[in-house]
Amino acid sequence: MNAKDDDLPAPADMPPIAGQLDGPAPPPDPALLRAVGGMGAVRTRGRFGAFAAVLAAGLVGPLLLLALRPLRHDLAALSPALLVLDGALWLAACAAALAVALVPARGDVLPSAGRASRVGLWVIGALAVFYLLPTLDTPGASALAPDGAGPLLRSCLRCIGVLLPIAVVSLIAGALVLRRVLPMGARRIGIALGAAGGAMGGLALLFHCPIAGRAHLVLGHVGGVALAALVGALLLPVLLARSAR
Amino acid sequence: MDGEALEASEIMRRYCAGEQAAFHQLYTLLAPRILAYLWGLIGEKPAAEDLLQHTFLKVHEARASYVVGANPIPWIYTIAHRTCLDEMRRRKRSRVRLTRDGTLAAEPAADITGAAADARADAEGELATAAMAALEHLPGNQREALILTKVHGRSHAEAAMITGTTPGAIKLRAHRAYVTLRQLMARPREKKLA
Repeated sequence: MNAKDDDLPAPADMPPIAGQLDGPAPPPDPALLRAVGGMGAVRTRGRFGAFAAVLAAGLVGPLLLLALRPLRHDLAALSPALLVLDGALWLAACAAALAVALVPARGDVLPSAGRASRVGLWVIGALAVFYLLPTLDTPGASALAPDGAGPLLRSCLRCIGVLLPIAVVSLIAGALVLRRVLPMGARRIGIALGAAGGAMGGLALLFHCPIAGRAHLVLGHVGGVALAALVGALLLPVLLARSAR
Repeated sequence: MDGEALEASEIMRRYCAGEQAAFHQLYTLLAPRILAYLWGLIGEKPAAEDLLQHTFLKVHEARASYVVGANPIPWIYTIAHRTCLDEMRRRKRSRVRLTRDGTLAAEPAADITGAAADARADAEGELATAAMAALEHLPGNQREALILTKVHGRSHAEAAMITGTTPGAIKLRAHRAYVTLRQLMARPREKKLA
């Protein structure tokens, strides 16, 4: 038993059961022995391999978007420092969420599901706080956020429609690399993976969407990340369960 | 990592390198406690023995996912946990449980450590029987937390990884399990004293 964890008082009446853990186990059955019998050396996983693979797969969507569709018309008029800061924020959000979802801590085989969901939610919160403060708009060049709830909602849905497919690519790539690792807490890991994919979509929107204004950025861009995290939480357990069959 | 984790890590490295003897060493090292864990979760020894074989088969199939140098013990517990949950879900879906030869399975009482109910009574007496009966009344997630942290000696972080939750949740569940267990065990003695 771990002394550091044993901070709860042990009930005096607890029977001495820990010793029974060393009881006999049946020998490996023939099917297991057959599988082991024909085995060879395998190439094991590195801690950062899955992270690199999903990041590379996830970047395909933003690159395609930027290559095939026009960049925002006010890009040249934007402050380069703010643009770099904004881009770095989205990239950091993506990297942080992806790392907790896929990179195990030193000495572990599996990523920590609890840490993944916590960091995933923190990332969404941090992005929301950032966009509630400044916005990347240049008077006269950036498009104004549409007036009225209906037009605002439509503009947000357009951006979410661009962001979500990018997030789903990361999510599917993440499910593919996680399917053999057999982690528990897929829902929690899905939150981080979805947030990472969403942040990748947000990074693409930074160069694509010309609409400035807090309401649009928080609802359409950060809200899209939150939605991607929700999709991740719902979709990853299903994808992992299917691939385990 | 402690000595046992280092030993398991070295065995796992040789296993992934294709050494068959390393598989048998890993099995000898971990099968008894994985069996005890599965028995505690599912409550039947024959089912736990089947799940043990499934668990090691999954470990074998997933060995390429192992990160060399890492402690494989929590990972193998996680695979056992997942295998057991899958079986429990499958059982919930099926209306009748049959054994391999097609007969209805008997459901012997068992405890979290894997001791049979009849042997247990002889060995540990009335108190142990009361403790084990009380354990069976705990909700599943509290029982898991208690078994992993207090019986199998896993840290809160490891138990959280095995069950897919947070260390805080594990601590809370283990604490609640302890409190419930103590209350459940106190009742029969209070009755006797009265």
